[in-house]
Amino acid sequence: MGEMQSNFDFLQKYDDRVAHLAAQAEAYVHSDPDSALFKLRLMVETMARTLVDMQAPELVDADLAVMLRSLQRSGLLSRREADGMHAIRRDGNAAVHGHDSTTPTAMRRLKDAWTLSRWYARTVRRGARVDPPAFHAPPPPAGDAAQRSARARAEALEEAVEARRARTREALLLFGDADDLKAMRWRLRGELRGLEFVAAAAGEPVVDADFVAVVMAMDLEQILEHPAWGRSSREAKSAVESQFEAFKSAHAAAESEYLANRAALAREGRPKG
Amino acid sequence: MSHLDLATTWFLAARAMACGGDEPSIAEEAAAGLFARAILGLDEASCIAAKSAEHMQALTLIDCMSMAGRLPRGTADQVMAGVMMIAYAAASMQPLQVRWASMLASSMDMTEERFQRCCVNARVIASMLPHEQEAVGG
Repeated sequence: MGEMQSNFDFLQKYDDRVAHLAAQAEAYVHSDPDSALFKLRLMVETMARTLVDMQAPELVDADLAVMLRSLQRSGLLSRREADGMHAIRRDGNAAVHGHDSTTPTAMRRLKDAWTLSRWYARTVRRGARVDPPAFHAPPPPAGDAAQRSARARAEALEEAVEARRARTREALLLFGDADDLKAMRWRLRGELRGLEFVAAAAGEPVVDADFVAVVMAMDLEQILEHPAWGRSSREAKSAVESQFEAFKSAHAAAESEYLANRAALAREGRPKG
Repeated sequence: MSHLDLATTWFLAARAMACGGDEPSIAEEAAAGLFARAILGLDEASCIAAKSAEHMQALTLIDCMSMAGRLPRGTADQVMAGVMMIAYAAASMQPLQVRWASMLASSMDMTEERFQRCCVNARVIASMLPHEQEAVGG
């Protein structure tokens, strides 16, 4: 890649503002990773706003997370793109809130942004042939031995955290990234239809379909105030709250530890004086 | 029952419920895993192993109902509540989902009253689910 070229040059003819933000992030990736992440977050927000304007203009002033959720629900944003955008949002938010970032974090998000840019260009200009050259990571400055060592440790930390997050995600999601969702859905729906025939032939079970439908319509406030169900429901709510909190706290603690380690490495990696 | 067996029963039951309706969002998908970890107390390794293609592909919903029928009563109630939570989280329930809930409840020998209790808990849990990708580290 030449000195004046950016990985995002191809984006200029589709969205000049987004291309400009991406190029700025690219320029800062080694010298100021916090600013690079901030620019990338702004880039994703700008992309989301443009896409929301095409789909649901009433949400154009909403929070980024709300816009992304709306785009996902509309089907415009697939799981893969949503993951990339949320990762940039998360790390951009951390940078905005004063958590020191490192170049390996910013570089990963820059690569995510490049992948998203190709998809974005195809989305805003339907039918466009978008085929940019492969992504080239901007080369690092030479730096001294201490900076190179801090950079290598930051890279190792980032690898470990990405692996942990991927494992958590794999455990939590109902379907894996490698699963053929369409085939799985088709198979399970076929089995469900088979059960429908069995039920029709054998007669309704004790908990029949009508009863399920009636229970589904119950309102939460009515449940919590119900003379018979209210008290135990409030107890169940409180028990579930503490179970969720315990689980989320364990993850939050792991993330805090990661942010603290990353901040220490970021400070170590900065030029002295 | 081992963690792997419980995880298998849960994820198969939850997948059937999810596939009976509209395509679930990431948040709804993550709710199933959050339920497995926080409420059923399953570890990360069991959740991953249960969902592996080699493990899942040979199993049918009949197997799921058979496994669900062998769950201890308290655990069965939790699984039923989780399955109903998926419908509440999506704020809709389609005919195939209604049928699945009904069949699963029958395989667990549930009375109307027990089932209603599970639904009450499901409704309460669904009201507390995260709406963002925070649950999957996003």
